[in-house]
Amino acid sequence: MQALTVLYDPDCGLCRRAHEWLAEQSKIVELKFMPCASDEARKRYPQLDHDLTKKDLTVVDDLGRVYFGPKGWLMVLWALVRYRDWSYRLAAPELLPTTKRVVSMISQNRYQISKATGLNR
Amino acid sequence: MTIGISTYLIYLSISIALTIWVARTLHKNGRVFLVDVFHGNEALADSVNHLLVVGFYLINFGYVTLALKLGYAVTSAEQSIEALSVKVGMVLLVLGGMHFFNLFIFSRMRRRSHVHPNNYPPVTPDTFTAVNQEA
Repeated sequence: MQALTVLYDPDCGLCRRAHEWLAEQSKIVELKFMPCASDEARKRYPQLDHDLTKKDLTVVDDLGRVYFGPKGWLMVLWALVRYRDWSYRLAAPELLPTTKRVVSMISQNRYQISKATGLNR
Repeated sequence: MTIGISTYLIYLSISIALTIWVARTLHKNGRVFLVDVFHGNEALADSVNHLLVVGFYLINFGYVTLALKLGYAVTSAEQSIEALSVKVGMVLLVLGGMHFFNLFIFSRMRRRSHVHPNNYPPVTPDTFTAVNQEA
């Protein structure tokens, strides 16, 4: 695997902050960023359900494997030198349900969180 | 020689002998770990091993020296044995703690040096999609 494409929500402050943080991290696998449901994304992934990518973070690798939501986040962590260990830990059967719950909660409330923490432009 | 002084001398000889024994065990058996951690670089492994053992000696001898004082007069053989049991017991516990701490460091170093061979992703994909490589 050479690169992961991250389809993120450009309207959410938290996501933009996460994007900045990711840009600074050293990576094992390259991360490319694309606003979700943009023309660019529709052109690159003509068969993908783009309405679904607006609901939750989506990660696609260069072979077309799609990871939605919490799995997408785990793939992003896996791409980072410092957090690859953590991606395996959080994906372990004992922790995966909790990981999914926490990530979904943050994801669903991302606009409120952005507002509360002053991350909205 | 009073019974008090003999108690101190016995304490010192037992503690020093124990420390040397544990340090040697660590030195002998830790080497294999370190060679593995440093991917077969034996010179570096020996150097780190030696430095770890020096630290181990310093901490343990430091503790043995500080804990020497009994604080009361020993007048009978019975009291001497009781005092020794407390003092040597503490030394053993400190040695044990240090020993496990060293093992923890070894295993941590080893784990760290083996991070990258894991190339498989942590989760399976949800679905597949076609990729337009030109876009």
